[in-house]
Amino acid sequence: MRLGIVRSRSFRGGTHAAQKKELTREKPIEPGPAVGEVAVMLSQHIGSTCRPVVKKQDKVSAGQAVGECDAFVCAPVHSPVNGVVREVALRSHAVLGRSMAVVIQPDPQENPPKLPAAEMFAPDFDEEAYSPEQICDAVLRAGIVGMGGAGFPTRVKIEPDPRFPKDTMIINGCECEPYITCDYRIMLEWTGRIAAGIKLAKRAAGCSRVLVGIEDNKPDAIDALRAALEAGGIRNGIEVLAVRTKYPQGGERQLIKAILGKNVPAGGIPPMIGVVVLNVATAAAIAEAVVCGRPLTHRVVTVTGEAIARPGNYYVAIGTSVRELIEFCGSVTEKSAKVVLGGPMMGIAVADLETPITKTTGAITVLTAEQIGKAKFERRRTACIRCGRCLQVCPESLNPTRIAHAVKSNLIDEAERNYMAACIECGCCSYVCPANIELTGYIKTGKIFLARQKKRMPQ
Amino acid sequence: MLSDIKVSCSPHISGPLSTRRVMVDVIVALLFPMAAAGYYFRIHAVILIGTCVVSCAAAEWLCCAIRRKPSTLDDFSAVVTGILLALSLPPRIPAWAAVVGSVFAIAIGKMVFGGLGANVFNPAMVGRAFLTASFGMLMTTWTTPATLDPNMSRIDRGNIIAAREHVIRGRTQATPLAWSKMAIKRRLGGETYDDQFFAATVTGEVGGCLGETSAIALLMGGAYLLIRRTIGFHIPLAVLLSAFVFAGAAYLKDSWTYVHPFFHLTSGGLLLGAFFIATDPVTAPLTRRGMWIFGLGVGTLTMLIRIVGEYPEGVMYAVLLMNAVTPLIDRLFRSVPVGGKPNV
Ligand code: SF4
Ligand code: SF4
Repeated sequence: MRLGIVRSRSFRGGTHAAQKKELTREKPIEPGPAVGEVAVMLSQHIGSTCRPVVKKQDKVSAGQAVGECDAFVCAPVHSPVNGVVREVALRSHAVLGRSMAVVIQPDPQENPPKLPAAEMFAPDFDEEAYSPEQICDAVLRAGIVGMGGAGFPTRVKIEPDPRFPKDTMIINGCECEPYITCDYRIMLEWTGRIAAGIKLAKRAAGCSRVLVGIEDNKPDAIDALRAALEAGGIRNGIEVLAVRTKYPQGGERQLIKAILGKNVPAGGIPPMIGVVVLNVATAAAIAEAVVCGRPLTHRVVTVTGEAIARPGNYYVAIGTSVRELIEFCGSVTEKSAKVVLGGPMMGIAVADLETPITKTTGAITVLTAEQIGKAKFERRRTACIRCGRCLQVCPESLNPTRIAHAVKSNLIDEAERNYMAACIECGCCSYVCPANIELTGYIKTGKIFLARQKKRMPQ
Repeated sequence: MLSDIKVSCSPHISGPLSTRRVMVDVIVALLFPMAAAGYYFRIHAVILIGTCVVSCAAAEWLCCAIRRKPSTLDDFSAVVTGILLALSLPPRIPAWAAVVGSVFAIAIGKMVFGGLGANVFNPAMVGRAFLTASFGMLMTTWTTPATLDPNMSRIDRGNIIAAREHVIRGRTQATPLAWSKMAIKRRLGGETYDDQFFAATVTGEVGGCLGETSAIALLMGGAYLLIRRTIGFHIPLAVLLSAFVFAGAAYLKDSWTYVHPFFHLTSGGLLLGAFFIATDPVTAPLTRRGMWIFGLGVGTLTMLIRIVGEYPEGVMYAVLLMNAVTPLIDRLFRSVPVGGKPNV
């Protein structure tokens, strides 16, 4: 508070892109398609790739682990269905290009997924019944990773770490990307589950307080979570806060700044300042894992975009292909379109519609030819007019044009000196640039370049 | 189903802004001073603006053709340069001089650096500086506005003193700044400056460069740019504030010799410079702090030239000088990454 004006909780920079959430925000979560084949990717998270623990022709049951790994930063993957392993083969992967997947053919009698009973997560849910070790162990076995997009194994995040003692947990319910509504829907429909998950995560991490940040364009979600978290008696250090609606409010560094007013060191991670950030969908998954012993095999995916006939929010088996989901939603109304895994600002456009959904896929956004025409790569590009807009919107206060032009001229060290690594790839700079320069694209390319150069060094 | 799947890097949507839109916005804002110029200088305004715009566009097209690059005419930056140059020239400057200035502005001011975005100096100011250096006489020959004298006779230097009577009656000739300079030199004192004179500089019924006379039209154009967020308020505010403070200090020290700071704000090219020339994104710093410094520099240097220096007017030199130090400002005032230190 300053000069009597309540400053709404926010961060510096950012953009106000069109929300477009109205396409799906009133659509309740529905069961997804019963699919002909699921391809469970062996790498759905940051960290080591799992090794398959089943082989061709093996029978698997729903919830059975099909990929495991002993590395510390890793999460096992499970079969979402009862069925037979058809093969272990390469599939298109949104981030990695191609990666190994366990392809399972579901039993013909396989039914659409069922949700665990809501009663298990009543408002008076008592997390004290579970010990912190028990919770961490359940989270590890369930293969839970950050479901907001990054996919960092959750167990690593919540387990107490003597190097970085955590005192504050932030729950991310911002969902700042345009179009996406999956987190909004679960906050309304799975409120009890999220509340239980938050309490469990708090207990496991040993945090003294939990702050839930939700953008102020979702007042009903704020009210619902507030009611659920306060119904269980005293607040016990849990508070729900409204933060300003602005992209990328849901970036964890931006959310920490908005809520705590603290900056995470450039290129650093939240634990360095004693904070751990979890997404609401992750909290719900924690509750299911700990209370029901249910591994992470399904998630809510928003299928949306102007080119989709029947947009909606669906509870989908992880491993379902993009094509099956799009067809389930009445297919595409256009001949030419862009299929994006995630939202339009940070999502990844896929060329192969057989690409399977992973644990981190919150949405499929199909953009029309007209929208594509308005996007950067189709529009006339001019030289940088040095207007400074990219600097002003960059939530990390970088100099995007400088980094991008360094990458363009192959001066990777110059780009590195200008904090290329601190870029969160939010896309704000590309979004505003009047010269239509793909700043984010150059920066991403530069990062890949740098990683490759580093890899080549002798080990 | 889909037959054509597009892929590209994120983000997949983009804001409405484009370089052309920025330039068109500036042109729209310039309609205000252009209208004022048309009102006060009639056919001369039309001829001068037309000549400059056409020759700037032609020069740009030619330079692109010579470099065998696709023409960059469609970003409209050459049109902006043409209008700005026209607005900063004396109304009755011969057409050939306007053509020479335009070609110099585009070819030397912009294209030799590599075109839009790469030029160090504001092209319009480069063109104007070239004309000032080469044809000083033409650049200081002013015209009486048509509303005062339908013949729009030329005013030469000799007239200035003879025009004192007109000045006192609110009828001004030469430029107000040239007048005040002369008044100081000849120890005529600040009393020759009165409310009527001030009113004339606000409406534009005074001698001066084509587009700089009417403060009210320039303010309207500037407001349009600010409302459209085509420009930030940082540079104009810094320019006007620093100029006001400098002029105010001089006025407080000796109000008989120096004119009121408001007079400095409304007359000469200060408003045109603050809103349209110093805000040229290409030649101004990138960061907000840099913009403040840049604006302070332009305002202070202008006043230094006007009050201490020999020339009555100094906006052009101030802008060009600050353009030259812009790379330095960009080095000194880098953006500081969140949670980090500025890079080295
Ligand atoms: S440089 Fe990176 S963090 Fe900054 S706006 Fe661009 S994409 Fe976002
Ligand atoms: S937004 Fe685009 S044109 Fe403006 S400074 Fe950044 S890169 Fe240059």
